[in-house]
Amino acid sequence: MHLLEVMNLKKIYTTRYGGHQVQALTNVSFTVEKGEYVAIMGESGSGKTTLLNIIAALDKPTSGEVWLDGRNIVTIKEREISAFRRDHLGFVFQDFNLLDNFSLKDNILLPLVLAGKSYKEMISRLNRIANKLGIIHLLEKFPYEVSGGEKQRAAVARGLITGPQLILADEPTGALDSRATDSLLRLFNEINDEGQTILMVTHSTKAASHAKRVLFIKDGQVFHQIYKGSMSYEQMYQKIADTLTLITTGGVRHE
Amino acid sequence: MSKFFYAKLALNNIRKNSQTYAPYIMTCIATVMMYYINYSLAAHTGLSRISGGFTLKTILSFGVAIVGLFSLIFLFYTNSFLIKRRKKEIGLLNILGMEKKHIGRVMIIETCYVALISLSSGLLFGMLLSKLMSLLLMKILRFKVELGFEISFPAIRSTLMVFSGIFVLTLLSNLRQIHLAKPVELLRGGQVGEKEPNTKWLLILVGLITLGSGYYIALTTESPLGALSMFFTAVILVMIGTYCLFTAGSIGILKLLRKNKMIYYRPQNFTTISGMIYRMKQNAVGLANICILSTMVLVTLSTTVSLYIGVEDVLKTRYPRDIMIMASDDLNIQDISWEILEKHGKEPENLVDYFYYSLPIQQKGNQFIVNSGLANSAVRYRDLKALHFISVADYQRITGRDVDLAPNAILLYDVHRDYPYDTINILGREFIIKERLDSLETDGQDAMLVINSYYVVLSDLAFLEHVIEADASTSYYLGFNLIAEDSEIIRIQQEIRTALRELDSRITVDGLQASRNDFYSIYGGLFFLGIFLGILFILGTMLIIYYKQITEGFDDRQRFEIMQKVGMSKAEVKQSIGRQVLSVFFLPLIVATIHIAFAFKFIWRLLMLFNITKISLFVWCTMGTLLVFALFYSIFYLMTSRMYYKIVT
Ligand SMILES: Nc1ncnc2c1ncn2[C@@H]1O[C@H](COP(=O)(O)OP(=O)(O)OP(=O)(O)O)[C@@H](O)[C@H]1O
Ligand SMILES: [Mg+2]
Repeated sequence: MHLLEVMNLKKIYTTRYGGHQVQALTNVSFTVEKGEYVAIMGESGSGKTTLLNIIAALDKPTSGEVWLDGRNIVTIKEREISAFRRDHLGFVFQDFNLLDNFSLKDNILLPLVLAGKSYKEMISRLNRIANKLGIIHLLEKFPYEVSGGEKQRAAVARGLITGPQLILADEPTGALDSRATDSLLRLFNEINDEGQTILMVTHSTKAASHAKRVLFIKDGQVFHQIYKGSMSYEQMYQKIADTLTLITTGGVRHE
Repeated sequence: MSKFFYAKLALNNIRKNSQTYAPYIMTCIATVMMYYINYSLAAHTGLSRISGGFTLKTILSFGVAIVGLFSLIFLFYTNSFLIKRRKKEIGLLNILGMEKKHIGRVMIIETCYVALISLSSGLLFGMLLSKLMSLLLMKILRFKVELGFEISFPAIRSTLMVFSGIFVLTLLSNLRQIHLAKPVELLRGGQVGEKEPNTKWLLILVGLITLGSGYYIALTTESPLGALSMFFTAVILVMIGTYCLFTAGSIGILKLLRKNKMIYYRPQNFTTISGMIYRMKQNAVGLANICILSTMVLVTLSTTVSLYIGVEDVLKTRYPRDIMIMASDDLNIQDISWEILEKHGKEPENLVDYFYYSLPIQQKGNQFIVNSGLANSAVRYRDLKALHFISVADYQRITGRDVDLAPNAILLYDVHRDYPYDTINILGREFIIKERLDSLETDGQDAMLVINSYYVVLSDLAFLEHVIEADASTSYYLGFNLIAEDSEIIRIQQEIRTALRELDSRITVDGLQASRNDFYSIYGGLFFLGIFLGILFILGTMLIIYYKQITEGFDDRQRFEIMQKVGMSKAEVKQSIGRQVLSVFFLPLIVATIHIAFAFKFIWRLLMLFNITKISLFVWCTMGTLLVFALFYSIFYLMTSRMYYKIVT
C-alpha cells in the first residue's frame, strides 16, 4: 500500500465577490511510498502551495481524494483534523513559523504539549532530536536570538518530534543562505536515510537535486517526473535544470 | 494641486484606518461635548440667581478642570495607539520616496480634519444636550426654577482653546516620533521589543511596599480629619503599587508558573501562560490604567450617590428643628420670637431650650484635661474632644424625665458611641456614668464638628461653675417646629433673624427649610458631578479596553495561525483565547474591587465629614455601584472579545 495517494485533485478558488474563478489545480494524481523523498517543482503560481495545503488538511479540494496511510483525509471530520495532523504530519515552513514568545525548546515541544504527552516523554524525545539536529545548546534561546539556519533546524525538530509518517516542507530553504541551505539539505537526506518520508515543495534546483524523485507541476497538473536512481547530485541537478527549461520554453504545447 | 493631493491622502488615511480612527474621533467628540456642557452649566447666568448657586458653580468649575485634564490624558493615550498602528504604513510611504516633511504635512492635515469634526460636532451636541443636562441638574437639586437655554460663548471659547491645545500637543508628539524614527524602524512598527521581559524584583518590592502602606493607612486611619489629610498620600501610594505590581508582579508570577513543569506543560496552560507573559509586557500599563480608572469610577459614584441619598438625613441631624436660635445668653429671645409667631398666627411645636457649656478638651483614657498647648498641633486630633455640660434641671425640663442624680454621677450622651469606660474624670474630678443616653435634643452643631462630642448632664452646680471658670463657652439654644408651608417657615425664620440681630449681632438663626437649598447645592452638585465624571471615566475605561483588544488581536493573529498549523484545533484556539482574554479583562476589575474593599473604611471616615452617619447606606451604595459597573464591564467584555476573536481568526 502507498503511504500517500493523491487522486484527481482539483481546486478552484472563487474570489470573494463571486464571478472570478481561479483554477489552481486541474487534475493532480501521484503516489508517495514509505521512505521516499519527493520534491515538487513548478513555476510560481502553478499550484504547489495549494497542493501542499490540501495534503496537510489545511484546505479542502474542490474534488478528488487524498489517502494517507489508508485514510481519506478529505473526509476527516473538522473536529478530528487537528489531532490527525498532529499525529501523522510534520511541517517545515519557509518562514519557520516559530512563536517568538516561546523558547526554542517550547516551540519544539508545542505539538507534544497539545497532544497531552507527559513531561518525561517530551524531554526524552526532545533530547534525542535536538542531539541529532545539533541544537541542544540553543534550546533555552528565543527565536529572535538565533540565526535563520538555526531557526529552521528548530522548526524541523518541531516537525519531527511527533514521529510523523510524512514531513511536508514548503520552500524550507527559501529564507536561508547557501551554507545554511546545504546543511539543511544534508539533514533532510540524513533523516530520509533513517526512513523518514519527506514531501518538499521548492523553487531551488539544488534543493530538488537532493530528493529521490522530482515532480513537475504546470498548469495545475503533474507535467513530468524524474527519478534520481543512481545519479549523482550533479547529474540530477543538470537533468532538473533541463526539464525546467523545457517547461518554460516548450510549455506552449497546451495552447 | 499638490496641496490638494495631501488633503486627499489625509482623508483617505482616516477612512482606511476607520477601525482605529472612529473610536478616537468619537472620544474626541464626547470629551468636547462633556467639557462644553460642564463649562456652560458652571457659567450659566441663571445659576447666580439661585440660592446656593455659588457653591454649585464652584463644584461645577472644579468638574470643568477635571474633565479638561482627563480629556488630555485620554486623547493622548488613544493617539499613541493610533500612531503605533500606523507606523508601518508611514514607514512604507517613507521608503517609497515620500519625505518626512511631506508625511508631516499629511499628518497636520489629518489632525485638522479630526479637530474640525470633533470640535464642530462636539460643540453642536454639547449645545443640544446642555439643556437636557440643566434639567437633570435642577431635578437633582430639587429646585423649582428652570435654567433657560443659552449658548454660552465663554464655554465655546474655553472649549476651543483647551481642545485646540490638546490637538496641537498630540500632533507635536506624533511629528516628533516620526521625525526621530528611522524608516526601517517605522516599517517594523509595533513589532519592536519582542524580547522576553525580565522579572524586575525591585519593582515588585516597591509595589508591595507602596500598596501595603497605602492599604495600611486606609485601614488604620481613625479620625475623619486624619483621613482627609492622608487621602492623597494613600491614593498615590496605591496608584504606584498598582502600576508596579501590574507591570512587574504579573510577569513575576507568570514566570514562576512557567518554571513549574507540571503546570506549564499542560495543553490548557502552555499557550495561555506564555501568551500572558507576552501580553503583560505590552499591556500591563494599560491594565493598570483600567484598574485605576475603574476604582475612580467606583469611588466617585458610590460616595456621591451616598451623599445624595443621605442628604435628608444629614439635614435632619444638622437641623433637628424648623427654626433654631443659638445665642450666648437667653436675653429676651423668647419674647421677641413669640411675638413674631403670634403675628403669623403660629404656635411653636416641640419646643426645646436650654443652656450648655462647651469645653474643647484633651482626652487621655478616661481623663479629660485642659491643655494649655491645645492650640498647637502637639495634641492629636483623635484625642481632641468637645465636652458639653448641661444641668440636670434643664435636662429634666426638656425631656420631662425625673432623674435622681448624685453630685458624683453624670448622664453621658456620647454621639459616636465610642466611649468605653464606666467612669469619667473631668478636670481632675472623677464621676460615675450613671446612664448612657440614646439621644438628646442637641442643636446639631456637633454634626458640624469633626472632633467627637460628649454631652455631660450633671447635678453638681459648683463643679459647673468651675467648668465655666475654666473658659467654657456658654450657649443658649432655642429650637421649635412650625406647622406651615416651607416658604412661610423661611419667611418667619428671616423675620426672627432680622429682629434678633438687632438685639445682638452674634445671634444665629438657622432652620431646616432655609438651609435645604444650600445642602442640595452641595450634595446634589457633587452627585451631578459624580455622574458626569463617572460617565467620563467609564468612557475612558472602555476606550482603553477597546484599543487594547484590537492591538492585541492584530498581534495575536499570526501566533494563532501558526499554532493551528502545528496541530491546534479551532476549538482549542477559541478556548485559549477565551481564557487569556477573560483573565486579562477581569483582572483590573478584581483588583479595583480589592482596592475598594480596603478603602471602604477610609472613605467612610471621609463621608463622616459630610455628616453621613448611616453606614448601611454607604455599604449599599458601594455594592450597588460595583454591581452596575461590573454589569456594564461584562457587556463591554462580550462585545470586544467577539471583535477580538474575529480579528484573530
Ligand atoms: N486563497 C486564494 N484565493 C484565490 N486564489 C488563490 C488563493 N490561493 C492561491 N490562489 C491562486 O491559485 C494559484 C496557485 O497558487 P499557489 O499559491 O498554489 O502557487 P505556488 O505554486 O505556491 O506559487 P509560488 O511558487 O509563487 O509560491 C495562483 O494563481 C494563485 O493566485
Ligand atoms: Mg507557494
